[in-house]
Amino acid sequence: MTTTNLPAEQTGQSVKAVNRRAFLLQTAAITAAAAAGAAAFPAAASASTWSGKTPKFGSDAYVKPRPEAIADPTELTVAEAAWMIKNGKLKPVVLVEAYLARITAYDSVYQAFNTVLGEEALAAAKAIAKKKPASPLHGIPLAIKDNYWTKGVRTTANSYLFQDFVPPYDATPVARLKAAGAIVLGKTQMGPLATTRATSPDGRITTVNAWTPGNVATDPGGSSTGTATSVASRMAASGTGTQTGGSITAPSNAQNLTGLKPTMGRVSLAGIIPLSYTRDHPGPLARDAKDAAIMLTAMAGEDSADPRTQGLPPLPDLIAAATPVFSKGKCRARRRTRIGVLPGYASTTTRQAFLAKLDGIDGFELVDVPFPDQWDLLTGNEFNNVRLPERSEPFMPYLRSDLRGFGVSVTGWLQGALLGANEFITGQRAKLLLLERVLDQVFEKCDVVVQTSPVPFDILGLPEIGFPIGFSAAGVPVGTILGGAPYEEDTLLSVVAAYQAVTDWHWKRPADPVVPAAAARALKTTADRGRLTADDVVDQMQ
Amino acid sequence: MAVTPPTDAELNTMIRARLASLGIDLDQLPAGTAADPETGSPGRDSVLASLRSFVRGSVTALASFQMPAPSGSDPAHAAALSQQPAPMLYPSISTEWRR
Repeated sequence: MTTTNLPAEQTGQSVKAVNRRAFLLQTAAITAAAAAGAAAFPAAASASTWSGKTPKFGSDAYVKPRPEAIADPTELTVAEAAWMIKNGKLKPVVLVEAYLARITAYDSVYQAFNTVLGEEALAAAKAIAKKKPASPLHGIPLAIKDNYWTKGVRTTANSYLFQDFVPPYDATPVARLKAAGAIVLGKTQMGPLATTRATSPDGRITTVNAWTPGNVATDPGGSSTGTATSVASRMAASGTGTQTGGSITAPSNAQNLTGLKPTMGRVSLAGIIPLSYTRDHPGPLARDAKDAAIMLTAMAGEDSADPRTQGLPPLPDLIAAATPVFSKGKCRARRRTRIGVLPGYASTTTRQAFLAKLDGIDGFELVDVPFPDQWDLLTGNEFNNVRLPERSEPFMPYLRSDLRGFGVSVTGWLQGALLGANEFITGQRAKLLLLERVLDQVFEKCDVVVQTSPVPFDILGLPEIGFPIGFSAAGVPVGTILGGAPYEEDTLLSVVAAYQAVTDWHWKRPADPVVPAAAARALKTTADRGRLTADDVVDQMQ
Repeated sequence: MAVTPPTDAELNTMIRARLASLGIDLDQLPAGTAADPETGSPGRDSVLASLRSFVRGSVTALASFQMPAPSGSDPAHAAALSQQPAPMLYPSISTEWRR
């Protein structure tokens, strides 16, 4: 295995004074269980029960590339690369080599990856080249957030607690992506235990926004920061994230990507290190709506290892939904869609221009919708905090023996331990009340609704999509979020696909950083990019 | 008669006692307000201040929330939550269960 091996002073991963006895005991137990066979694992924790069936992808998943993309394979979207590979115009090895070359050239600046699987990715590309493409992900290199278990590859959740953890199997979404032919390029930096923007576990800033690599103060979005930076900087074709309080849509908005947080249960959480089990949503960070649809189609589906995925409506044809429809040369809505606008949303010229562009597409109708009753209270910080006991309960052994092992993130775990059962249950009642008000007072009047924060729909488990709508005066991407009704990811994708058919924000890419070799070496070994304190993490906690 | 809110010292005792009852010793963290130089974890006085704020804010807000009376019910009888809809951990999933 090849890795980037960031120095200890940057990753904080070789601090020896932390008590890791509980971790080592668990690792030993897992190793012993693996040696004894899968039956030794608790059923709910085993990913071995997934059937392995690859979903069907329609012909719309393959898109003839733009001329400018053919010259540089790393500019191809997944759908374009799929067209190239299917038609024998691009070999997976060439595509992997192109991405590895960019990682070698630039990741010392971006610090998007904590593990790069160069040799393994090349071997996988050579092996898959011998097979006939059966999916648009055949030979596509992906970045995987480091809280997804990856068989035989260190999975840390960017934490001291898991710093040496090597899972015995892949998380179900990773297994599904690999079964579709995708290639794992590496594991990406993330907020420690998925709490905030990517830093080392002790708070030192690692990953920068791909649009401002020289300015660490520009928020790259958390906690799926590394995946966002890797995709935005063309060091991976697409990637995976998890969202608990905005961790897919926020980094997508910050870095000009299209990130899709599906309805709770659409994607299995089996094999993902949890932050809040009622709130964690795995999903893709992609370059456009079509790529997000391809990724989610591969990742989604029922999994006997995760009851949250069972008994749900079937996944709609996301790829068809993400294919824009034209009539007489003009883009029109795939289906008539009422787009809800919440009070105060159109407070900036960028948002006004976005709404005007949507309003100009035949078949879309803007509709003013109210905030549901008690919106501020039920979606505010106090009620949002009902998630915190889900954080502390599964980590009790670590809380008892290794508080410092949580680094800058420890406070949220201790808060969770203080919330009583009465308040927790009241919070669950309040979530249901909030959902019923959203369904009755918002979705009675519209089909999708603009969001001013990802948190309300994270609380409810409703789908959201973040996508680019412009740039600030400083040249930093500006995005927005649309929310949908339960299981209506296809409606969200159809709106974004139409918007992206009449705009070009999603085609813009950041300039490559200027990296003299000496400067790159200095960044890798000595640079202090600043740090977040524990108080900062509490303020930004997801 | 209104209950007297707890003082900082009383809350500190409550927080430490609650954590201790779970087997969590706050003294694993460094004394005072300075962060641990090795791991970045905060000093215990900083954590205690944050935890007091959490108890006064989130715990109190959740505990004092009164669900609205269901349509057609007598608010006097609905003050208790015994006939309210069952709490749901996963609201979006519950929409499918209730079709």
